[in-house]
Amino acid sequence: MFAVLSPRFRSIENVQNMVDAAAVLAVVTCGITFVLLMGSIDLSAAGVMGASALTVSLLVANNRNDNDLGLLGIGVAVLLGCAFGCLSGLALVLLKVPSFMATLGVSAVGLGVATLMFAGVQPNISDAMLKGWAIERFLGLSYLTWIAATCVLVGWLLQRYTRLGRYAFAIGGAEEVLALSGVRVKPYKVAVFAVAGAFYGLAGVMVTSQLGAGLVQAGSGYDFSAITAAVVGGTLLTGGRGGVLHSAVGVLLVVVLTNGLVQIGVSPYWQGGVEGLIVVAAVAAAVIPQRRRNQVVK
Amino acid sequence: MPLIALLALVVALAIADPGFLTQRSLTAVARTAAPLIVLAAAATLIVLCGGIDLSIAAVASLSTVLLALWLPHLGGLATPAVILAAASIGAVQGVAHVLLRIPSFIVTLGGMSILSAIALVVSGAGTVRVVDDSTVKWLELYVGGYVPMSFVMALVVVALIALMLKLTPLRSWISATGYSESAARLAGTPVDLVKIGAFVVSGAGAGFAAIMLVSRQFSGGPTMADNLLLPAVAAIVVGGTAITGGHGSVWRSLAGALVVTLLRVGLPIVGVPSAYEQILYGVVIVIAVTLTLDWSKVSIIK
Repeated sequence: MFAVLSPRFRSIENVQNMVDAAAVLAVVTCGITFVLLMGSIDLSAAGVMGASALTVSLLVANNRNDNDLGLLGIGVAVLLGCAFGCLSGLALVLLKVPSFMATLGVSAVGLGVATLMFAGVQPNISDAMLKGWAIERFLGLSYLTWIAATCVLVGWLLQRYTRLGRYAFAIGGAEEVLALSGVRVKPYKVAVFAVAGAFYGLAGVMVTSQLGAGLVQAGSGYDFSAITAAVVGGTLLTGGRGGVLHSAVGVLLVVVLTNGLVQIGVSPYWQGGVEGLIVVAAVAAAVIPQRRRNQVVK
Repeated sequence: MPLIALLALVVALAIADPGFLTQRSLTAVARTAAPLIVLAAAATLIVLCGGIDLSIAAVASLSTVLLALWLPHLGGLATPAVILAAASIGAVQGVAHVLLRIPSFIVTLGGMSILSAIALVVSGAGTVRVVDDSTVKWLELYVGGYVPMSFVMALVVVALIALMLKLTPLRSWISATGYSESAARLAGTPVDLVKIGAFVVSGAGAGFAAIMLVSRQFSGGPTMADNLLLPAVAAIVVGGTAITGGHGSVWRSLAGALVVTLLRVGLPIVGVPSAYEQILYGVVIVIAVTLTLDWSKVSIIK
């Protein structure tokens, strides 16, 4: 439809742009999908990405200190994301804090950590490899896009062929049954949040590569866009249905939609509004078949 | 509990900085706390019903923009108009929550995103300055020379909500909804109306908080109140209102809001950089939710 409305939308350049823009969102969505499969929700992406963006920009070659760890720095940033995910998961299973509260708290902690590391001076990265990720192309697509594609593949393999992935589905479908049949659910819940955190950590690194600098706000907006993409792709917020490949399709849809709206002249400020409407509408549509009298919705 | 925490904080701050208990710094604390008190107290009703409102900060931000835009045209009528607009935003979200059967945190998360977008578009993504602030300036007056008017008004709002709950069957309806929604419904409680009403009050509270912000800053901005979401949620749970619903009160949120404000003001006094503020909110929210949970209800937590 957008291809008819706007000639610029049809250009190869724009398709390349869209796929590149989808890269970071795809990685975030990959992570959040696992959490949504369990029927939980994760609002921590923005904070975790901010913290990992600052971490990686201070560990690779930059203008603030003499560190030049290269790949190791990237690894540390991903691990940090993983640790934040662990925190959310532990708060959920040990302290029994509902996931949206726990992750909201962890997001605040992540932003605080990022602000501490930022310390008023923006760290610009000079690491050639990390900067190259966003610029250099392979078969017409940037390295970041290939990384994202790899992430989707890894996410799909995790979901399809590991116990972690299949239990995530089961927890979302019927946690009580799973627990009663002797599965220790708690470690898997923490592990799922940790995996999601690692994906956010990598996404923070990718944003840093795009911007060439570590920013506290690196992840702002991605958390909600990722939920939108996952829901549009057919992953239910009630858990148990959907998957990484569904979400990948959702990411493309969301990116095409936002890009298309800009191309036909809608103000980019509306982007968040459109996403909000999509989420509410999609959740409402998913709930309609299950409507029953006296069903409790909090 | 929250009162003890409040007293302990005041004593600790007074020891850390002898200048803290002077009239000037206490006045400053009261002024800072006022919008937070209104936000937290109004949103408490939704938490008492067992839901949550994540959109309060976005509603308040949008309201600051609307107020700044409407003041030149409507004059004195702009204030009630903004509160009305904010209340109807709350009503729309409440209706969506009840009719479409979407969990409240998703409705308000979506609402937050939509309202922020509207605020950005309406304001042109910039600050809207208020040239003639004569109609909102009264909030900057001081009662008896010391107590800020905004703080007094915040107390009045809390007292009004508390009185409304006390004098009508609302209090028991809200508690029933929060403790056990299906039982309340079977007992004939108008659960749906109670929930929508709670959302209306929450929206109106956000609108009133926005008026306080505009009167202090002489402008409205599309992200002006956004950083109040975490402190407001923290204030509610620190006050001791259980996130599982039923247990709690608006007075507790008043105490919670004061605790949060003192923590925020106190950090620099004890020499902690203000960047730790965010970390503190995150940790405080998680701990407070754990302490106030109704453990009998929580077999499965999502």
